[in-house]
Formats: sequence, C-alpha cells, structure tokens
Amino acid sequence: MRTSLIEIERIDQWLLNQDAPASHLLMDARLVLDPVLRSNVRDQKTSHDLIRRYGRQKLINEIRKVEHHLFTADQHRSFRDKVKSIFNF
Amino acid sequence: METIEQTKTLSREQQITDWYKEVFPKVCGFVKKRGSDLEDARELFQEALVLYYEKHVTTGFLPEKVEAAYIMGIVKKLWLRKCSSENRMSSIEGIELVTAEENSVPLTQKLIKFLERTGSKCMDLLQSFYYEGLSMKEMSVRFGYCSERSVTVQKYKCLEKVRDEVKQRALGYEDFID
Repeated sequence: MRTSLIEIERIDQWLLNQDAPASHLLMDARLVLDPVLRSNVRDQKTSHDLIRRYGRQKLINEIRKVEHHLFTADQHRSFRDKVKSIFNF
Repeated sequence: METIEQTKTLSREQQITDWYKEVFPKVCGFVKKRGSDLEDARELFQEALVLYYEKHVTTGFLPEKVEAAYIMGIVKKLWLRKCSSENRMSSIEGIELVTAEENSVPLTQKLIKFLERTGSKCMDLLQSFYYEGLSMKEMSVRFGYCSERSVTVQKYKCLEKVRDEVKQRALGYEDFID
C-alpha cells in the first residue's frame, strides 16, 4: 500500500478508536505538532460524515422502493387490502 | 419475524419487506385511532426503520423481546415527538421553531453533485463499511474482491478520493446541511 494510503489507514484507526493505546497517544501528540495532519484528520472526519449521510439516503431510497412495490405489485394485494381496510378506503 | 442478525444472509430488501408486512398495519391502526392518516403512518414508519437500523448497526443492539414490538415502540415515541412539536408550533405564533434534527435535510443538491463526481461505486463500497458496518470479509464477497486485503486497499483509495474532494472544496460538514 502506498504511503498516502497508509496515512489514511492510520487516521481512520485513530478516528474509529481501532488503534492500540500507544499508537493512539502518539497520534494525539502528532496532531498537536503537525497542522497538515490536523487538516487531513478534519477532512477525513467530514468524509466519514458524508459517507454515512449517503448510506442513510440509500437506506431511505430502499425503504421507499419496497413500499412502492408492496403498494403496487399483484402478489401483495392482501397486504394492500389490509392497510386500506384500516383507513376505510 | 426474523431479526437482523438471523437474516444477515437475506437481502436488506427482504428484511424491509418483512418489517412492512408485520409492523406497518399496526402503525396504521395506531395513527388511525389518533385521527391521523396513511401519510403520517408512512412517514413515522420509515423514520422508525431508519432509527432501528442505525441503532443496530452503530451499537450492535438487538431487542430482548420481539423486534416488531421494539419498532412499534419507536413509532410511538416518534408520534409523541411529532405531537409535541406541532403543539409548540401552534402555540407560538409567528416564530418558526426548527429543531436541529429537522434541519438535517437528508441529501442536498450540493452533496448529490459531489457524489456524482466521486463515483457511486466507491460511495457504495464506503457506505457498506462506515454506515452498514460490514466486515472486510463481507465486503469482499459483496463487491467481488478476491481477498480482504484487496477490498481494504480499495476502501482507502475511495476514501482518499472523497477526502481530496472535501479538501479541494474546503468543505465542512455544515456545507452539506441546507
């Protein structure tokens, strides 16, 4: 793995608390001294947040797709009738 | 109804279908009794499924009793929150009350453009780890990599692409909130 990816891996382990205590402390110290590393950590954290947001949207889309299928496909007629009867449609 | 753990081999789509068939009619009955409609039932149920899914993924939580009863419990809490929010809105005339949660619109136009540039294949791979919490082994099977090491390297390459884009645009998380 190239050097830049190794750095990304180390930052990820630090952000996710998956590194050894000694490595974690070393990273804490490097963050105090190295502004470039600090900036990379901040950007990587933002990337994590974005990816999770993307994942959530993907799940919501999947839920809506299933719902659409349940409310339109022939094989789910009994489910639809059950829901309709609740609201007296 | 099977739990998330029991159905790990089943698709997420099948799991969602099972939840709909077992729990959604109960949600409809719940909101109907309180004078509400199908649209409210849909919104509450979708939000409850997302919350339940994320709780399971982030904490490994599984309900002690029946999964359906737990999801129904979330729906009831969301209903109470919705009612109290509506009461607040109507009691303070002219003041718009928006909670932080309500302010977090799922995906902004800016984010969608960003993701298009990054590539959906990379984003799908990354979200399977950071959102779905899959292991490297599970990821290698899903995305057809020959080893866990290969998918690990690809994951970091994709993360680098996203991070570079974030850096280039000097984006902060707040830039993705409407």
